[in-house]
Amino acid sequence: MSDQGIKSRPKYQPIAPEPAGRHHLLVVEGAEVPGGALAEGVSPAAFEVWTVAHRSAVPGAPVMEEAAGAVRTFRSVPHLLGALQERLARERMGLRLYGAGTEPFVWDVFGIAQAAGLGRQETGFAHVGTQARRIFCVHCRAVTENVSTSIVTCSGCGASLFVRDHFSRRLAAFMGVQVDAEVPGEVPEAEELYA
Amino acid sequence: MSPAATCDVRVREIEPLAPGLKRFSFEPAHGGLFSTPPAGGHVMLTLRDGARVMKNAYSLVSPPAERARYDIIVRLVAQSRGGSAFLHHKVARGDVLEMAPPLSLFPVAATAKKHLLIGGGIGITPLLSHLPELKARGARYELHQLSVADEAAVFERLLAPFAAGAEIRVHGGGRAAFDMAGLLARQPLGTHLYVCGPRALMDAVSGTALALGWPKGKIHKESFGDTSGGLPFKAVLKRSGIEVEVGATQSLLEAMEAAGVAAPCLCRGGACGECRTPVIEGEVEHRDDFLSAEEKAAGTAIMTCVSRARGPRLVIDL
Repeated sequence: MSDQGIKSRPKYQPIAPEPAGRHHLLVVEGAEVPGGALAEGVSPAAFEVWTVAHRSAVPGAPVMEEAAGAVRTFRSVPHLLGALQERLARERMGLRLYGAGTEPFVWDVFGIAQAAGLGRQETGFAHVGTQARRIFCVHCRAVTENVSTSIVTCSGCGASLFVRDHFSRRLAAFMGVQVDAEVPGEVPEAEELYA
Repeated sequence: MSPAATCDVRVREIEPLAPGLKRFSFEPAHGGLFSTPPAGGHVMLTLRDGARVMKNAYSLVSPPAERARYDIIVRLVAQSRGGSAFLHHKVARGDVLEMAPPLSLFPVAATAKKHLLIGGGIGITPLLSHLPELKARGARYELHQLSVADEAAVFERLLAPFAAGAEIRVHGGGRAAFDMAGLLARQPLGTHLYVCGPRALMDAVSGTALALGWPKGKIHKESFGDTSGGLPFKAVLKRSGIEVEVGATQSLLEAMEAAGVAAPCLCRGGACGECRTPVIEGEVEHRDDFLSAEEKAAGTAIMTCVSRARGPRLVIDL
């Protein structure tokens, strides 16, 4: 069950600044650039880095330098994503954007990048941290976060969902399908697969 | 792919735009409507000048929604291999020519946030079919046309229908007065760049854009290659077992076609890669935009529509 033979799962590579880029912005989900996110020999100083402190006491940064080596810290992921949208709206051609973190974070960043007009040659992502999944219920469209089991109860409609390997880049989520649709009540044991 | 089937078209109108610049308008010779052409598309005309047969590609300049006619603009080239001189001097209203249906190697990018178009001289032609399409889509665009001073007014006139509320500029001073780097540096994310014109302009624009960090995938070039001819040589088609003399004003592809060989081809401008042919012996003078620098250095393939032999003899696997 762990390999469902589905090919839509994204593949990731450690991040290195693309040589052709004019400026490199790296956004990460945590307070530090996580170990393993960058390719061997690549220093965080090659990027302008945005981090998330996950706390309210973020030091103020009156004038932000938009240069390699600069670090800007946000209170939360939504705080960072909102600022990213504004930043990309006024950016010029030549920018490269990288994201490191869990899969939902990385693909939320991708969605913002794509909406701003960045293509695959201008972005790079590394999946680090938990393997837990965001699940999109194909029946009620509710999203259930942080799923580590093969079967999960939908946060929207309460259905027992089978967690498929089918990944949607648009929704930044895996697909969840009712597991007992044919024989109601026949729900297999959930296995811990995505820790 | 074998050469596309041609249809007969009649010259419905010839309009002189400037000295050496004429617009030809064609209609289907047997009535009806043409197919809807792709934006940035070109057609291939078969021009029969006595015993000589030339097949030349021309960008459509009529709006893609226009199906009653296809328009092209042809510049009379001083060093013409014959195509532009034939069209300018020998083709008259009412004449019937063979035309292969349009295809586009220079389409409009659907996901672009903005379209930046740069034309040089007659390189304006494919851009003229982009503009109505971009306007119809409500897309954001900006166009810069480089021109010699004498022709600036002609280009102003061709662009006038699209000028209202749009960023369109004709630079009559050519490249000298054109701030290319400034223009490319201030483009918003998601901009796609389209450039058509002389080789030197296209190289300068794409080189500047790449240096500013533009990704290759957002730089689109339309080239009809270098078709200025060169020294005659002999081509040996090993598999077919025939030898073809390539004249000074002929391309290898044209010489093979004249010998009755159905050689693969599509764009006839060194852009699409369709006519790539393995080289067995002899040195190649590469003039295409398709092969990478490494492939050109290796010299194991030739684009027959534009490239030539460097020496007197070339053996190819065809």
